[in-house]
Amino acid sequence: MVELVSLFLNSVFAGNILLAYFLGMCSFVAISKNLNTAIGLGFAVVFVLTVTTPVNWLIFHYLLAPGALAWAGIGDVNLSFLRLIVFISVIAAMVQALEMLIDRFSASLYAGLGIFLPLIAVNCAILGGSLFMVEREYTFIESVVFGFGAGVGWMLAIVAMAAARIKMRYADLPYGLDGFAITMIVTGLMAMGFMLFSGISL
Amino acid sequence: MKLTRTKTFKAFAEPAWTNNPINMQMLGICSALAVTIQLRTAFVMTLAMIFVITGSSLIISLLRKIIPGNIRIIVELGVIASLVILTDEFLRAYYFEISRLLSVFVGLIITNCIILGRTEGFAMSNPPHLAVMDGIGNGAGYGSVLLSVAFLRELFGSGEVFGYDVIPQSFYDAGYEDMGFMLLAPAAFIIIGLMAWLQKYLSGTGEKDR
Amino acid sequence: MSDMAKSILFAVGMCIVLGLLLTTAATALQPLQQKNMEINRKKNVLLSVDLVSRDGKYTHEEITTLYDEKIDLFGATQTGAIVEENKIDREPVLPIYLYIEDDTIQAYIVPIDTQGVWGMISGYLAIEDDGSTVRGFTITRHSETPGLGGEIERQWFQENFEGKKIVNKHGTFVSVRVARGEVERQVPEEEKPHYVDGISGATLTGKYLSEGLKQVLSRYEPVSIRFRDNRIEKPGRSKKRAKGDL
Repeated sequence: MVELVSLFLNSVFAGNILLAYFLGMCSFVAISKNLNTAIGLGFAVVFVLTVTTPVNWLIFHYLLAPGALAWAGIGDVNLSFLRLIVFISVIAAMVQALEMLIDRFSASLYAGLGIFLPLIAVNCAILGGSLFMVEREYTFIESVVFGFGAGVGWMLAIVAMAAARIKMRYADLPYGLDGFAITMIVTGLMAMGFMLFSGISL
Repeated sequence: MKLTRTKTFKAFAEPAWTNNPINMQMLGICSALAVTIQLRTAFVMTLAMIFVITGSSLIISLLRKIIPGNIRIIVELGVIASLVILTDEFLRAYYFEISRLLSVFVGLIITNCIILGRTEGFAMSNPPHLAVMDGIGNGAGYGSVLLSVAFLRELFGSGEVFGYDVIPQSFYDAGYEDMGFMLLAPAAFIIIGLMAWLQKYLSGTGEKDR
Repeated sequence: MSDMAKSILFAVGMCIVLGLLLTTAATALQPLQQKNMEINRKKNVLLSVDLVSRDGKYTHEEITTLYDEKIDLFGATQTGAIVEENKIDREPVLPIYLYIEDDTIQAYIVPIDTQGVWGMISGYLAIEDDGSTVRGFTITRHSETPGLGGEIERQWFQENFEGKKIVNKHGTFVSVRVARGEVERQVPEEEKPHYVDGISGATLTGKYLSEGLKQVLSRYEPVSIRFRDNRIEKPGRSKKRAKGDL
């Protein structure tokens, strides 16, 4: 249990998927202009990461990994080279399915999240989550915690950034530093802040 | 003599400098930065990127007349993903050490927004030779930024260039120290920010509405 | 409708072409990849006993020859006896590599597999035939944060371990630990032989690694005790059988 809490804290703070591993930058820079949109996209990422990481875990461990097809009687097959293409398709399919489900069952949630879901299929944080899950050999439970933690970390970063950018609108910056450049530098400062959490242990 | 005026050259030069994918289009920085601690990994990553983007541009451009419009995005993704897998498998087989250092970041080329953007926005509507030049140009632009970041981080972070010591011992004796901060993630963000500033300042483009 | 049919046909065709291409490539490259991993493992075992140097370039043949000549894989029983690995079925044994030169055991190598902050940290720790001095340490695989815990793959950190003692002067097992910061400043004089310099900013990785080393080494303690008391018997060479197995 302690390990799981520690894994969660680590994936939110010190090992933040955006600030320490640079994943999900494209949507981060584009969407952090507006606070409300940032919150919406943040929730969508948490949601999708928490779902796709475990689903890809199941697919990897029961279909793709070396010897994973033993239950089907063909144990010596190694399909792990297909994982990139399978993961990306699973993510795209899951996002599509989620969109339809939300549309069917909750109109208000759809109004909030719906428009962000298609954006997420190409967010590298999502694919990165699944690839890290394989690389670090997580168990199923760990993959759920990691997916959720990485999502929360990403959301925290984009919401904080959006809030900072509201203030920055009034800053008088030299020519060329405004826009993309200052966003990057502020992200760097934020990453420094998040790294301070690396000493925390349970 | 009028090389710089040809359309082919333009297809190469525009993405490589004037419209550089990292600074100006802000796309695809995702997978780039984590491998910039050393020049060696950044260099291999650049080659992988150039291969994938040129290959996918070429294939999509060759097939552009027969790809059905309604499934073109998935076809593009399929081609890109296959090229990335080929690259990954190749690196694992022949450059084991490097592939271990690059870990998942080769795979993440798939979600790199530049590649899908170029195949969709350029290769789908241009003949193969232009598409190839555009691909190489984008790859080179991406590589130039990646390599400069890696150069700065490796030089100031570990005092090395491509793994060779370049800071003379006398500097260390005089009290010079490697800057450990350069090896950490925030340094990459800040360097990118400063480079974007420099490029925007030099090229003089961008909105002058303020 | 014909548009639909054309799309489906194209999609199916693309799947077949790409599938065939990828499968061919992966199958063709797989033996090479496995050989690479095998060579990497052997090289790291050799590194831990200082038979190859870290920045030296070696061909696959050189590594394999050196490994076959000097290193042998055995099993350690719970009482610390070293037996041929092939006899595993009778009682559980721990894998242990011996570095044998001129028919005497020079060092023994313990495979390390332990939990890090993010994932498993794997490596090899070699201990001299006195059963207490660390001869070398290598890390083969880890997934710590680059720049922080990731520094454990650096040469200085791994060379740090050379010459450290896993027992104190009273002969009790204390393992070897990663200090918080520099040993010179942080650790009292009498403890210094059991500590290595830590990585700044990676306290947690150091802690996990210290714990992991302690756990693994205490499992091998019966063997180490035998080495310290000098009552280790060199088992027969298991080379031929081992080769037949591979």
